[in-house]
Amino acid sequence: MKKFTTLFTALAILVGFASCTKKEEETGKTLNIAVSADIKGMDPIYANDRYSSNEVGRVYEGLLEYHYLKRPYTLVPNLAESMPTVSEDGLTYTFKIKEGVLFHDDAAFPNGKGRELVAEDFVYSIKRLADPKLQGLGWWLLDGKVKGLNEWREKHSDLPKVDYDEVVEGLKATGKYTLEFKLTKPFPQFLYSLAMPFTFATAREVVEKYGQEFLNHPVGTGPFILPTFKQTKKVVYTKNPNFRKKLYPSEASEEFKAAGFLADAGKELPLVDRVVVNVIIESQPRWLNFLKGKVDFISIPKDNFDSAVTPDRNLSPEYKEKGISLLINPSLDVTYTAFNHDLKLFQNADLRRAMSLAYDVKKSNELFYNNTSLPAQSVVPPGIAGNIPNYTSPYRGPNIEEAKKLLAKAGYPEGKGLPEITYDCPSGTVSRQIGDYMKQQLAQIGVRIKVVTNPWPELQKKITKRQVMLYGIAWGADYPDAENFLQLLYGPNKAPGANGSGYNNPEFNKLFKTASIMQDSPERTALYEKMNRIAAEQAPWIYGVHRQNFTLRHSFLKNYMSTDFETGQAQYLNIDTKMKAKAVEKL
Amino acid sequence: MSQSNIQSVEGVEIEETKLKNSKSLWDHALENIFRDKMAVASLFIVGFYALISVLSATGVIAADWAVEVGPSYSAPGADYLFGTDIFGRSVFTKMIKGTEVAMSVGLVAAIISVCIGVVLGSIAGYFGGKIDELIVWFYTCFQSIPTIMLLVALSFVLGRGLVSMYVALGLTSWVNLCRLIRGEVMRHKNRDYVQAASALGGGHSRKLIKHIFPNVSHLVIINFSLMFQTAIKTEVILSYLGLGVQGRPSWGTMIDDAKLELARGVWWQLGAATLAMMIVVLSLNILGDALRDALDPKLKGK
Repeated sequence: MKKFTTLFTALAILVGFASCTKKEEETGKTLNIAVSADIKGMDPIYANDRYSSNEVGRVYEGLLEYHYLKRPYTLVPNLAESMPTVSEDGLTYTFKIKEGVLFHDDAAFPNGKGRELVAEDFVYSIKRLADPKLQGLGWWLLDGKVKGLNEWREKHSDLPKVDYDEVVEGLKATGKYTLEFKLTKPFPQFLYSLAMPFTFATAREVVEKYGQEFLNHPVGTGPFILPTFKQTKKVVYTKNPNFRKKLYPSEASEEFKAAGFLADAGKELPLVDRVVVNVIIESQPRWLNFLKGKVDFISIPKDNFDSAVTPDRNLSPEYKEKGISLLINPSLDVTYTAFNHDLKLFQNADLRRAMSLAYDVKKSNELFYNNTSLPAQSVVPPGIAGNIPNYTSPYRGPNIEEAKKLLAKAGYPEGKGLPEITYDCPSGTVSRQIGDYMKQQLAQIGVRIKVVTNPWPELQKKITKRQVMLYGIAWGADYPDAENFLQLLYGPNKAPGANGSGYNNPEFNKLFKTASIMQDSPERTALYEKMNRIAAEQAPWIYGVHRQNFTLRHSFLKNYMSTDFETGQAQYLNIDTKMKAKAVEKL
Repeated sequence: MSQSNIQSVEGVEIEETKLKNSKSLWDHALENIFRDKMAVASLFIVGFYALISVLSATGVIAADWAVEVGPSYSAPGADYLFGTDIFGRSVFTKMIKGTEVAMSVGLVAAIISVCIGVVLGSIAGYFGGKIDELIVWFYTCFQSIPTIMLLVALSFVLGRGLVSMYVALGLTSWVNLCRLIRGEVMRHKNRDYVQAASALGGGHSRKLIKHIFPNVSHLVIINFSLMFQTAIKTEVILSYLGLGVQGRPSWGTMIDDAKLELARGVWWQLGAATLAMMIVVLSLNILGDALRDALDPKLKGK
């Protein structure tokens, strides 16, 4: 659940394509993807990192998915026939699942032919996630949320064998194609968990046939087939010939319409015949592969940023000539400098505001993010409901005059009476420089800062043990809901929970409690915005920036955009083979 | 053993000095050093660095290193002697402030390590037996720990900062000197002059401090200058790794900054820090060599 990232985490997750031999190029469309880390395996319940979950998402599918071409991120049915019906009290979710969806052909099924997916498969898959013997890594997602599931888990943790046939009250197949969830309390973010690979559908026969080896024998309903997974540097998927009729969306947000993303509208998915995933861990080989056309898209490695992107955020002409284009996408995250609210000192809102006002976020964006980020006004990043467009926090610096006034109001004129404040940050050149910058900025109003660098685990420990005064950190989204960000300031979530700063504002807590059990609605958005405004005006943190991804792609790759939720993206991508042949000549 | 001692080189030397109107070992040494132009230049450079550090420590120069003097990453030129860094601070001033850190670390760490090395070495060499065994066992164990790991561990325990830097470097660099002193004291303790001292009723401490130590002190001086430059280099490495001094410029942190800046063609921080370090380390090395030539009787005439 914790997706803290360091402030300087580079735009580092690089995905690309490595080309195949000439012969293969002629036979069809091949998507070559390069990833920057080893893939752990192909079992959905263990897919807790970006790399494994992306691979799982090629073979397996879930009830829901994010609409490929809509922003803000919108959930749409995938294996479900439609969005579920939710009972009045928000506790019962009833899904109708698609009929006629087939699993991949596999020896585990009678005659080796993939059987039809039924509601019972989801019951089984989600029980697997809860299986105490398997220790699935995504259990936190449903822990304490589905009626009877925790009890089932506890009961079986002591028994020698886990009984999947025992009925769990909150997780039932009420018909061949109907699935019913009963929750213990309203949890509107529940639907997001059904779009995460942890809850994707697996077939019981397959799991039982392969046992331990199931990790390497993915059999799902998804657009691509991988007969066996081997821990190699190259994984080859082929198109699923029995894939159900799933069409490329014909609706899109304006930005995608304008960018020509609807050219393939209505075509049957997947659009390519093969997907080749290359594991290339070092960034320079990945970059060189991209430049040679063997990798179709790549997030720009930090070291190559200046050579690839001109100061005015354009692609350098050298790359433009080769048909490469630059995509800039905001990512759902926020960087911040948190105050430790356990300290009496920082319970003084005027002091916090003064410090926030003294900090020049624009300059820091220039110095540390190549001017690519958006200065954050409050905690919720743009792109999800709860962010207030065009809102400017009254305490967003730099305004030294005002800061000095507020500092005097706080009782520390010119910083007199203030102790030396320590600023903890991860060790690493950029983090240290960010700290030095904070020090320099606050010195302008007479606040003295001492920068302390720590190894990442030590910093985490210090935050949990409340041994910090100020610290610099960042948060990336688990799902596109402001709740995931606002919870960082919710009092009861205090460390060791996600609220490391220990901010505790009764008004904010009350609003959060109300909003967190509400369904997505204009009223909830209004509450989110209200909280977001409080989070800006009370300045519980000094906000940093919302970062952006800089991705390069080749001209022959169609329909690609960088997204925060990449699972299943490969089925929408297309390769223009003619263009590729031409473009590769130029490279 | 005692026979070979009588015929030792030092014995010859004593005769020699008598002939030339009793010139001491130190007079000779000074004469030799001043004859060596390189050594004099090095001494002068080291003195200059020391002066700069003192001036910067007292705030006479480079007190305004944190002030923004121009735009980020200005190239070296007439306006900014060595260019500016990411925050628009003068690299030249940072380099001078870094000199203070480097020189003070070199000096204090070398003093700490000399103290430990000399004390343990002379005790071990002089008393021998169980005490010697114990000390030898101790430093052998100590040296089997990789220095850099020990430094990292110490900087974790002591926290970050200048003081812990002094202590950490001092604590990790005394073993070689300790060995040398121990061997040298062993050779000296049975010499005639020491025996004469005991015959006159001198106690252990008198013999050790008043009689033996002056005769092994040239080792200390030579080693001091070498330790000095090792400490400077190590400080730079530790600061580069983010384990060094915090909140003030050091050559190591300048080089650490430069590792990212080089990709955008900003070489002057690296240049300034390396140049400053190279000159002082080279000078100290030359000086150390010259001191050894001058002070080590075994090298006489070579």
